[in-house]
Amino acid sequence: MHGNTPLLSIRELKKVYKTREGELEALGSVTFDIYPQEFVSIVGPSGCGKTTLLKIIAGLLPKTSGEIFVDKKQFDPSREVGFVFQKPLLLPWRKVIDNVLLPIEILKLDKRNYIEKARALLELVGLSGFENNYPNELSGGMQQRVSIARALIHDPKLILMDEPFGALDALTRERMNLELLRIWSESQKTILFVTHGIQEAIFLSDRVIILSARPSRMIKALDIELPRPRTMEVRSSAEFGVYSLEVYRCLELT
Amino acid sequence: MKLLLRRVGYFFLFLLFWQVAVMVLGIKEFIIPSPLKTLSHIFQPTLAAKYQWPLHIQATLMEILLSFLITAISGNLVALLISWSRALKTLITPIIVFFNSLPKIALAPLFLLWFGYGLLPNTLIAVLVAFFPIVINTSTGLEQVDEDLLNLVRYLGATKGQIYVKIKIPNALPYIFSGFKISATMCVVGSIVGEFIASDKGLGYLLKDAQAFIDTPTMFACLLLISLLGILFFGALSLLEARVLYWMPQTTGGGKG
Repeated sequence: MHGNTPLLSIRELKKVYKTREGELEALGSVTFDIYPQEFVSIVGPSGCGKTTLLKIIAGLLPKTSGEIFVDKKQFDPSREVGFVFQKPLLLPWRKVIDNVLLPIEILKLDKRNYIEKARALLELVGLSGFENNYPNELSGGMQQRVSIARALIHDPKLILMDEPFGALDALTRERMNLELLRIWSESQKTILFVTHGIQEAIFLSDRVIILSARPSRMIKALDIELPRPRTMEVRSSAEFGVYSLEVYRCLELT
Repeated sequence: MKLLLRRVGYFFLFLLFWQVAVMVLGIKEFIIPSPLKTLSHIFQPTLAAKYQWPLHIQATLMEILLSFLITAISGNLVALLISWSRALKTLITPIIVFFNSLPKIALAPLFLLWFGYGLLPNTLIAVLVAFFPIVINTSTGLEQVDEDLLNLVRYLGATKGQIYVKIKIPNALPYIFSGFKISATMCVVGSIVGEFIASDKGLGYLLKDAQAFIDTPTMFACLLLISLLGILFFGALSLLEARVLYWMPQTTGGGKG
C-alpha cells in the first residue's frame, strides 16, 4: 500500500542488557518500516521494551544487534529526530520560547533564524502569547505542548513520542490527542508514538505495532483504516471496536 | 514584608523583656548587662569603652568577605572538577573526606605558626572551615539532575561542555546557593576563632580583650555586632538568591532561616 520508500527501516533490532544474574532480553527481534508522514504507534505491556526501542532509534542507547537505516544510509538521530518524553522536561529557568529554542543551541545553529519559527510553532501548539512565560506558570498539558514545539524546532523528519500524555488527566489527554492529530497533519511529520493506551493508539495511528511481554516479539502490525481527519465520533464506531478487540486478542487480554 | 516586620517586632519585644528583667531583678552589669547598657558601649565611647569600633568591625568584615570570596570560587571549582572527571573524583575525594573529618578549628594554631598574625591566617582559617559545605553542596547539585533532562540534549549530540552550561550548572544553582548560605555562617565563625587565637584587631579580639577586664557590656556589644554582620551577610545572599533563582516557585514570606 506504500508506494514510496520508507523513512526509517528497522531490521531485527535486539537489545540485551547484561546484569549480574545473566542476560536480560529487553527487546527481542523487532522489524518494521516507517513511511513518510505516517503515524505509527507501538503498544505492549509494561517492560516490553517500547521505551528502549525509542531510545535506540534516538541514539540514546546502543543496540545489541540489528539495523536502523534510512535509504540504506546510516541514520543520524541528532538531525532527523525530535523526541517528546513522558515528562515535559522544560528547563524552569528558561522562558517558554527559549525552551523551544534549546535544540537550536545544542546543534549550534544560528538562533536568530529560528525565533520566528519558534513563535509559529508555539502558535501551532496553541500557545501563542505564552512566549515569555516561565514553565512553572503553565499547566501540565501546556508544558507538554511546549515540549512538542521544542521537538519540531530543528525540523526533524521523525518525531518520537514516549507516552507523552501518560501523566495528564483523562480529559486533557483526550484533548491532547485531537491536538496532536492536528499538529501532525499541519506539520506533515512522521510520528512514532509509544503508549499503553490501546484506544489512544488506534485513534491516532495509521498502523499499530503490537509487542509481546518480555522477551518482546512483534506480534502484529495492525493497519488502521479509519477515515481521516478523525473526530471523537470515530471512537464509538463499530470498526473502532473491531480494531480494539483485535489488539486485545493479540495481547491475550480476551 | 509583613512577616519581616512581625519578626523585628518580636525581637524588640525580647529586648524590652531583657531590659525590664535586668532592671527588676537587679542583675549585676558584669554578669548580664542590659541592652541599653550594651548599646551605650558602642555609641557613647566612655573611658571604659575607649574602643575603636570602626577599626575592629572593618577587620572582621574584611576577613569574612575575603574568606567567603575565596571559598565560593575555590569550592565551586573543586566541585566542578570532581563532577567533570571521574579520575579526578577518585583522586580528590579521599583527600576531601580526610580533611573534612578533621576538626578544622583545631588546625588554627598551625595556621598561625605558618602564616603569622592578622588578616591572612584568620581568613585562611575561615576558608578552611567554610570550604567543604560548598564542595559538598555544589557536587550534590551537579549530580542531582534528572537523567531524562540529560537525554533531552544527548540525543541532539550535545557536548559535555553544553551539558554543563545548559543543564547541569543552572540546575545546581539552588544547591550552590544553599552551600553559600551555610558557608557564609562558617566564615563568620572561622574569622572570630582566628581572632580569638591571635590577633590585634577584630571583634573576636575585642571580645577576648574585654573579657580580661570583666567589661561585660563590651563583650555583649561585640556579640551583637558579630551577629549583626552575620545576619546582614546572610540577608544579602538571600536577596541575591531570589534575584538569580527568579524561576524557582516563590515560597511566601521570603524567610528561610
